Amino acid sequence: MKFTWKWLLDHLETDKDLSEILETLPKLGLEVASIVNLAEDLKSFISVEIVDVKRHPNADKLNVCKVFDGKNTFSVVCGAPNVKLGMKSVFANIGTFIPGLKLKLKKGKIRGEESFGMLCSEKELTLSEKHDGIIELDSSSVLGLSVTDIMHLNDPIIEIEITPNRGDCLGVRGIARDLAAAGMGNLKDLEFEVNNGEFDSIINWHVDLDEDQKYLCPKIFGRSFTNIKNVESPLWLKNRLIAVDQRPISSLVDITNYIMIDIGRPLHAYDIDKIKGKTLRITKSKKDDKFFALNGNTYELDENMLVISDEQGVDDLAGIMGGERTGVTKDTTRMFLEAAIFDPVSIANTGRKLNLNSDARYRFERGLDYNSPEIAMHYAAEMVNKICGGKFSKIVNYKLEPKNKIINFEPNIIYQLTGVKIENKLSKSILEKLGFKIVSEDNIWEIVPPTWRPDIDGVADIVEEIVRINGYEKIPSIKLSRSNYIAKPAMSTKHRQAFFASRILASRGYNEVITFSFLNKIMAKQFNGGGLALNLVNPISSELTDMRPSIIPNLLLAVQKNVNIGIQDLSFFEAGPIFKGDSPEEQIITITGIRYGYKTKKDWQKEAAQFDFYDIKLDVIKALNVIGIPKNSLKIFQDAPNYFHPGRSAVFKIGQNVIANFGEIHPEIVNNFGLNKSAIGFEIFYENIPMPKRNKISRPMLKISNLQPVTREFAFLLDEEIDSERVCQVVKSIYKDLITDVTILDIYKGEKIPKDMKSIAIKVTIQPVQETLTDTVLEEISTNLINAIVSKLSGSLREI
Amino acid sequence: MISELKEDILKLLNDISSGISNSKTTSELENIRINSLGKKGSITLYLKNIKDFDIETKKEIGAYLNDIKNKINKLIQDKKNFFNKEHLKQKLKSEKIDVSLTPYEAEMGTLHPLSRTIEELCAIFADMGFSIVDGPDIESDYYNFTALNIPEEHPARQEHDTFYLQPDINGQRKVLRTHTSPVQIRTMEKIDLKNFDEIRYIIPGRTYRSDHDATHSPMFHQCEGLVLGKNMNMGHLKGCLIEFCRTYFNQDNLPVRFRPSYFPFTEPSAEVDIGCTKENDGSLVIGKGEEWLEILGSGMVHPRVLQGVGIDPRKYQGFAFGMGLERLTMLKYGIPDLRPFYDSDLRWLKHYGFIPVDNPSLHFGLNGVFS
Repeated sequence: MKFTWKWLLDHLETDKDLSEILETLPKLGLEVASIVNLAEDLKSFISVEIVDVKRHPNADKLNVCKVFDGKNTFSVVCGAPNVKLGMKSVFANIGTFIPGLKLKLKKGKIRGEESFGMLCSEKELTLSEKHDGIIELDSSSVLGLSVTDIMHLNDPIIEIEITPNRGDCLGVRGIARDLAAAGMGNLKDLEFEVNNGEFDSIINWHVDLDEDQKYLCPKIFGRSFTNIKNVESPLWLKNRLIAVDQRPISSLVDITNYIMIDIGRPLHAYDIDKIKGKTLRITKSKKDDKFFALNGNTYELDENMLVISDEQGVDDLAGIMGGERTGVTKDTTRMFLEAAIFDPVSIANTGRKLNLNSDARYRFERGLDYNSPEIAMHYAAEMVNKICGGKFSKIVNYKLEPKNKIINFEPNIIYQLTGVKIENKLSKSILEKLGFKIVSEDNIWEIVPPTWRPDIDGVADIVEEIVRINGYEKIPSIKLSRSNYIAKPAMSTKHRQAFFASRILASRGYNEVITFSFLNKIMAKQFNGGGLALNLVNPISSELTDMRPSIIPNLLLAVQKNVNIGIQDLSFFEAGPIFKGDSPEEQIITITGIRYGYKTKKDWQKEAAQFDFYDIKLDVIKALNVIGIPKNSLKIFQDAPNYFHPGRSAVFKIGQNVIANFGEIHPEIVNNFGLNKSAIGFEIFYENIPMPKRNKISRPMLKISNLQPVTREFAFLLDEEIDSERVCQVVKSIYKDLITDVTILDIYKGEKIPKDMKSIAIKVTIQPVQETLTDTVLEEISTNLINAIVSKLSGSLREI
Repeated sequence: MISELKEDILKLLNDISSGISNSKTTSELENIRINSLGKKGSITLYLKNIKDFDIETKKEIGAYLNDIKNKINKLIQDKKNFFNKEHLKQKLKSEKIDVSLTPYEAEMGTLHPLSRTIEELCAIFADMGFSIVDGPDIESDYYNFTALNIPEEHPARQEHDTFYLQPDINGQRKVLRTHTSPVQIRTMEKIDLKNFDEIRYIIPGRTYRSDHDATHSPMFHQCEGLVLGKNMNMGHLKGCLIEFCRTYFNQDNLPVRFRPSYFPFTEPSAEVDIGCTKENDGSLVIGKGEEWLEILGSGMVHPRVLQGVGIDPRKYQGFAFGMGLERLTMLKYGIPDLRPFYDSDLRWLKHYGFIPVDNPSLHFGLNGVFS
């Protein structure tokens, strides 16, 4: 919402200056977005008379002019077609900054002729887009004055953000009212003469709505104007409209726009001579109704849109936009003016369906002053009469009796809700200044909000009005102390798991990234997503159409981006959501990581080595260890999803629950990302981890033995298909108490042993618990251990 | 006789000790020991021979020889120690390595600045008794809008630039949540009013709007706050958020301004500004100066929102707030541009990221000093 300082002063009588007003506006909830003072930019542009015009010797379209500012004469080269002897125009001297061109004027030669300045168009002064000639000032203009004075530009433009509840502040008067309530002056009376008109209106209303639909148009007013001249608007009116970004068109249109900005009341002007018949019908559109709007577009209407029709058909989309067919033009001599109240919900729905925005819709949607149609009829009549002459008719109207809204209000609620104590007298005075009526004044106040505040519908709204005008700075600041005696952890176990795992991964070299939750359809499908339920109707690009089924593609993209800028060795992880469906349970939080490239570089100490499956396996185990999973409780399977390398991937499960997928990403996929090394990744589904059972803070007693552990080494021959880890498991299982560790020392396949077999060398650590183990006992353990491998894994002891 | 004998022995001692001191190796030294104190050594021979002397002489020479023997032993031991030290010295010298070399090891990774901010928020609000809750990114229209007092035709909806998912068979289309506020509704629905005293939640998370330019990302992060109890009023809101702003920006006297505003789900509503100065280069200095910078929105939970989840607004009241986390992060850590947050550029991550051992907490500090 834009307005000018002088415009505000039309409604506000005040001794405050602009800066005080600007400071107050945000305190009222009217945030100042910008303040522009054209006068600052344009003060050095002056009025001159053109005292000589000669054709440029070297250019057909240029003239060399002499201009006189009352004291001095300057020679100027000018290309404007409208330049003529004796004309008064706007001149910029050397050194002036031209805002429309964004440059500082320098002395220069144009095709050999010296030019000491510039004659300017409206565009060069940023007054409008007009650039077909230089500005022509009134012939009575005094020479040598700043154009800001001559053209009445000395008026700062203020732009404020209006929140959706404050439709009343979409007019300058509403802003003045708020300022007055806040002690920034007094609201002036709206000056207009009530004139009931001389003749009956040529056009009449017919509300053609079912009884239960009448709420869609509770009020509509109109009156006819005759013998008018739709001339160009006076300068003051044009200047005001230009200042607030409304393009001056013709006085009738300009007046309706002016009143819309001035008191927030949209109006619509019909050319009576273009209306078919004598009646305008307020009704609902039928399917396939077509509407040719003032903006030059044709709209195909739906059923049930509120429209205004004449005998020929729809030519006004109520509260949104008028029709081209019946609109006023420069030739209009008879006008019918409409001011109505329409149901905001209906307007919003229609506007949204047709994707049609307008200043009128903006205001109707936010709710208008129920009393504004009457006021507007008189206010506009006076203005039209002054500018366009002619006569106006009596008012024709239709209205429903408004339901009086009464809010019962206990003043104590102000303190209860906001903690600020305000005297009842002050509260009442604030409300009254804002136009509220307080009907009864016992402990419960019966409050009637003003007609221009349809947003007020409850006690909390009234509290806000009082506290807002009183000043939010008067609300006390109360320390919010913990309500519990002891501090409780803010994080749930799940949050802590993500927090700890992230830290372990980062300390192991992973960099955390945050990537978009959506990706393109091809990737979504490649990772077993891409279903309809997770497809966006209105994506911002074809690369971001589907909710991601996995974070791995996002991380591959991250790798790709970095490889493309020359960074080759990368480890990334992200803790974030993936989507299996659109219900809350189908959103899964995972921690997903990728490693790519070399883990060690070749240097004086070691050889270069790329990341492989086992690096990732360790990462996963370490991350799982810190979030409460002991190494032994994980079972490994080989059924990772199809986006992994089938032979180089695995799954950790607890029971049926997948805790992590990990391994090489399928080479085909990696290749699709233009990556030529293998990428190794994991996905940890930590939400699947059963909650730790331990609920005691104290730990079980530590049992340690002072006896020396004994180690024994063995080598077995086994079928090469047997998982090596099985050997350790079998060995451990036979003496759970005594055997504390089994390490694989070596795995050998080759000439020295039969084909399809492998040799596994292990070191077994035996920890005596109660007494030192005798040779006999150790011998017995060894024998049982060998027998177990023979019987359970069909292996044999290999003689070394 | 005794004195002659002693003289001979003394002479022998002198020879031996000069031999010891001239010896160059441990084996040379060992030879001297064998030649003097060994089974057939010169001193041992004297000891053997004294049995032929009379008892007096035997006694005196015996004592004298023992003394000499001890002296020689000591000299040999000292020389041995000397050799050991020399040997060690040589050994250490030969073991010298090139300390200027550093082996390669992959660097430690970093945590994303947004995770950092979320953790800082958790630390600050935890101290005020808040706990963290989550909600889904894909929301129904009801939770994202209607339950928050934003019916379909509400003008505020147009400001949300909502992403929609394909409609289901009933024509219902879900949305990507445009703010974290729907989690307010979800958490309030779970309240068991029979055992209800108070809740204090913060809800950090991803949010989405279909807007993409230099200052908008289609995905961004917000943190919602919700406090509901019997006597929570706007003064508490103010106290809570002033404490948050000052702690987060680490400035005791940070100016904080509450300004009336409008959100459909709060009434009264307030936007919160902090004091700052705009430098000539466009950067912002938080904490001093004439300008105000908006950093969060807040308000008392709207009675209609409470009624919608079955809570009687005459019995319970509270406040809610919401803030954009990218903006907070950029302001605090001087990150100039929004877009690289999601670009995964390793150079950016290393420069603006945080080391994993630096846990933000009130007692460690919240400002990432070592990162």
